[in-house]
Parts: sequence; C-alpha cells; structure tokens
Amino acid sequence: MSDMELENRLHSIASRMEYPRTPDIAGSVTTHLQRSTQRRLISKPLAWSLTIVFVLLSSLMLIPPARAAIIEFIQVGVVQIFRGQPTLTPIPGTPVSTISVTATPIPDSDLLPILNKIAGKTTLASAQKAVQYSILLPAYPPELGEPDLVYVQDAEGIMTILVWLDPQQPDKILLSLHFIPEGSWAINKMNPEIIQETSVNERKAVWAVGPYPLKLYGSSGGLEFTRLIDGHVLIWADGDITFRLETDQSLEEAIKIAESLEPMP
Amino acid sequence: MDETALIHRAATGDALAWEPLVQAHQEAVFRLSYLLLGDPDDAEDVAQETFLRAWKYLKRFDSTRPLRPWLLSIASNLASNRRRSAGRYVAALMRAFRNEPAHANIEEKSTQQNDASELWQAVQNLSISDQQIVYLRYFLDLSVAETAETLQVAEGTVKSRLNRAIEKLRNIIKSDFPVLLEGREV
Repeated sequence: MSDMELENRLHSIASRMEYPRTPDIAGSVTTHLQRSTQRRLISKPLAWSLTIVFVLLSSLMLIPPARAAIIEFIQVGVVQIFRGQPTLTPIPGTPVSTISVTATPIPDSDLLPILNKIAGKTTLASAQKAVQYSILLPAYPPELGEPDLVYVQDAEGIMTILVWLDPQQPDKILLSLHFIPEGSWAINKMNPEIIQETSVNERKAVWAVGPYPLKLYGSSGGLEFTRLIDGHVLIWADGDITFRLETDQSLEEAIKIAESLEPMP
Repeated sequence: MDETALIHRAATGDALAWEPLVQAHQEAVFRLSYLLLGDPDDAEDVAQETFLRAWKYLKRFDSTRPLRPWLLSIASNLASNRRRSAGRYVAALMRAFRNEPAHANIEEKSTQQNDASELWQAVQNLSISDQQIVYLRYFLDLSVAETAETLQVAEGTVKSRLNRAIEKLRNIIKSDFPVLLEGREV
C-alpha cells in the first residue's frame, strides 16, 4: 500500500471514530466567567479600603521620622534588604544560621535523579491538604498547566515546591516555585546577591541569584543546598507567604508568570 | 456576527460574545482532548480550562489569525501536561477500557467503528508529538496549514513529521493491527 493510499485509508477510518457526546462546555464556561465578574464587583469595597490605607501611609511618608523609618529598608516577606547594600540582611532579632552554603548548578544529565532524591514528593491535591495557605498556579504562559512535580517540606513552616519540566526536553526543568510560610528557617538559609529591585503586583520584589534550600534524602548533614535551574530567582511576598520563582527566563517573563498566579480550580 | 467581531467584543470582557465562539469550537477541542487523554471527564476539564485560559489571554491574540488552531494548541499543551502524570493516564485508559462494554458492546459495534477504535489504539503507541499530528490531521481533519498553525511550525515541518509518523504507524499496524490494512471495511 503506497503512502497516499495509506493516508486516504487513515482519513477514512478516523472519520468514523466514535466520540463521547460533547458536554455543554460553553454553558459551564459562561457561568464560570459570570461568577468571576460578580466576585470582582464584590471586591471593589476592599479595593477602596486598601486605597485609604495607602493614602494614610503616603501621608506618614511626609513626616520626617516616619519617612526615615520606612525608607531605611525594603522588606520582601520576612527578608529585609537594606538600601545601598548588595546582599540580603537577616531581620534583627531573628536567629541567624552560620551555615555557609554555596549554590552549585547541576549538570543537566543529573537533574532527574536529583529530583527523585528531594524529600517530600507528593501530589498537588495532597500538598494543598497539607498546608494552611492556598497553593497558587501560574495562568501564564497559558500552556504551562499543572506542575510535573510537587514537594512539601517541613522547614518550621510547611514549604511547598512546584516544579515544571520542559515539555520539549523532559530532562530539563523549566520553572520552579517555592511557597515559604512566615517563620520558616528556609529564609535564613538564603543569602542571594541582589541583581535588581522590582515589583510583583505592585509589591516590592527582588531579582536575585543565590542558593536554593532543598532537603534531600540521604545527605550526610541532613541538608544539602542546590539550585534546580542555572538562572535567576524572583522573590516577593504576599501576606504571610514568601514566593521564590526560579527560571532561566527574563525578568519580564518572570514577573508575568508571578503576576498570573491564581488559586487552583 | 463574524468570528473576528465576536473576538473583539469578547476581548473587551463581553462574556456573552465568548459563548458562541466556545460553542463553535468546543467539539473540536473536546475531541482532541479526549483522543489525547482517553477519558471523557478529563477531556471535559481540559476543554473547559482551554476556553478559560483563552478568554484570559484573548487581548494578546492576533484576531487576523484563525481561532481554532490557537484553541487546539492550548488544549494540546494542557492535555499533554496532564497525561505526563503517567499513572493518571494509565488509570484513565483502564477506566475507558472497563467502561467500554457499558457504552457499547464491541460485538454490536459496526465494523467501521471497530476499525476506528483499533486505529486509535495503534496511534497510542506513537510518541505524544506524533500522536498530536496524527490526531489533528486525520481524526480532526485539519488541513496541513491549520495543523502547522496549531503546532506553531512550518507547513513543510508538518509534512515531514507526518511522513515519519505514518511510517511508524504503518509498522505498528502491520505487526499488531493487520486487519486495518487488509480492507475489511472498504
């Protein structure tokens, strides 16, 4: 049978494929969109409240002592960054670890075995049950979908790590996202070099490089530090959660991803 | 109202303009998702997510381009991500297999439908990227240009990838599904 004959035959057979009845997706999508619109309308009073708080804070900035206190440092989550200094400085009064850590990029060929060694591997649904905060997923880029790997680690505060693999090269990591709750020691183990101050959803953020605290099985000292991606890290905070987004993409792309985070459906 | 006008209205936040567009393309999106996932519930989830994501990023969509390939591209990526969880994919296929007699007795199915089911099984032995191109071109009957638009590759690339996929498929059919080449239903 020639290629042409085979193609015609495939067309002919495939056209008779029996599919389940197509559900009313248009109806469910429209309902979902209308509910979302209503939620946005309800949240307007909250937006006004936040605006009033912002105006009050802006007024405080006009008073010299208050202004000095506010601009002395920039705080991202539980990490304080003093202006004019190139590195993060721990919060005063918080125990500071003296463990010296060095980021070691991993050869691509070793990535997957290392992923298998990271402690706390679980599913997205189980992770959500294990933590008190909402696990958010990026809606951008639209084709990203759910993470390929999910880890939950106890770091005096349950930390969640989401990992997406590159669909074109499944042995490479495309993106990873940490959710670090307030009080976690993981923050104190980070000592990144600040590359740039920026913002995520109008909240202060930093674009940095530095070590990555991951708990691995079988390590002699209980902890080893490594980076999943040889790239930069975007750090920002929302409420009690500090986020770390690790990617080898540009700052603009990282911000788009960070700003697209939304609760799991 | 034509598709471009509806896209423009939907991009400004008009959900009612989006609904007829979803209706127009939901069958193709659902069917591609079903072919890739093997489970109608998962396919429905992916189809719904496809239209919600497309809605969210509609402002960035170039409305001079056809909508369907873009939607199929999103659905294909979402379905591929979902089925990379191998356990879930195998479970879905097993569910589909268990449910088969409840939906339709194989004995009672027409020969043509049996052939189509067997062809689907044969295609499932291909890599995910080969499956995508075969489903788009033969099962959803997209043109080479539409397939290229969906996969975001050149038309020449579609043709060469299709040739390679068909060659692999021919070998699979020869060894495991020879009746498909013997002209049982034509």
